[in-house]
Amino acid sequence: MSRSSLRTPLARARGLGSAHSGVGSFISERATSVALVPLTLWAVYAGIRLGQGGYDGAVAFLQSPLNAVMAALLVFVSALHMKMGMQVIIEDYIHLPRSKLPALLLNSGLCWLAAAIGVFSILKVALVGVGAH
Amino acid sequence: MAEFTLPKNSKVTKGKHHPAPQGARKIKTFKVYRYDPEIDANPRWDTYDVDVGACGPMVLDAILHIKNTVDPTLAIRRSCREGVCGSCSINLGGRNTLACTHAWSDVPGNQITISPLPHMPVIKDLVADLSLFFAQYESIEPWLHTDTPEPQKEWVQTPEDRGLVDGLYECILCACCSTACPSYWWNQEKYLGPAALLQAYRWLADSRDEARGERLDYLEDPFKLYRCHTIMNCAQVCPKGLNPAKAIASIKAMLVDRVV
Repeated sequence: MSRSSLRTPLARARGLGSAHSGVGSFISERATSVALVPLTLWAVYAGIRLGQGGYDGAVAFLQSPLNAVMAALLVFVSALHMKMGMQVIIEDYIHLPRSKLPALLLNSGLCWLAAAIGVFSILKVALVGVGAH
Repeated sequence: MAEFTLPKNSKVTKGKHHPAPQGARKIKTFKVYRYDPEIDANPRWDTYDVDVGACGPMVLDAILHIKNTVDPTLAIRRSCREGVCGSCSINLGGRNTLACTHAWSDVPGNQITISPLPHMPVIKDLVADLSLFFAQYESIEPWLHTDTPEPQKEWVQTPEDRGLVDGLYECILCACCSTACPSYWWNQEKYLGPAALLQAYRWLADSRDEARGERLDYLEDPFKLYRCHTIMNCAQVCPKGLNPAKAIASIKAMLVDRVV
């Protein structure tokens, strides 16, 4: 906490004013949480099924359109939810702008990368199959 | 990066012990945080063996007994001594409360630990600097905003509408809630804190107010409002039994209503 400034307490309290944003993130955090309930239940079902059919069974499982869509949604929504959760933790605890902005960018970058790799991999198996180069 | 250690001058050292007077009947030990900014030294824990048989029932009575009979240098802020003014808020055994409405007999164990409200700058001993806290209250403009010309008599309100500010207007601004909130500890320069937000909702809920949009505009901010993570320490410690977390949730619900 900076106590060296002669700024008045009211100026400190008002700060830079309101960002007029936040409700969108608030809704997205909750919407992704709710969406992850059925998606996680499906993930449990998928885990059981994938454990039963061996390698070929797993490929066939992901080539079903419904399973491919559910798997892609699971990866995408999880990554989005993870990004928002980590962002809140960074905003809460990291205060130096020199570390905060890079941390926020790194978090976004890693989560979007994870989502892109995951969704691409699922689509590749679903549409092209394995072994196709 | 994040701060994991206390600043050098925050480490609390062992202080003086003041034994009980001769002939004391019932003794309780009060371990009290002491800090004097005029002395360039770290804060310390002084211990006072108090003959509680000779003082009133509340923690404030014991503190004043210490100040009057043992150690006049002890600083505390207090006024009404009946839970109305919100001046004597302290941290009692790790929990924020009002010294005047909390009985020392209700504190378990033989030692009672008293320190100033946590994570605030200390002016002296048990007196925390609340200037930012009160400025945050001022920043939500806690008065009626209207554009309609003032009526001849008063702004009318149905009994039901008046009931909407019950559980909100009773706040005495003691700062127990805000200084118990981890989000406020880490981000008090940007997060308004539960007390200011409870009061913000008190005006949002007031049927006579005509500035709900402007009030919501000011509050819609990732830090001013959305640092509340529903930790609920505020509701746990409020000495008036209010629920700031619920008021904050109502503000968030209003903001959702505005966009969907």
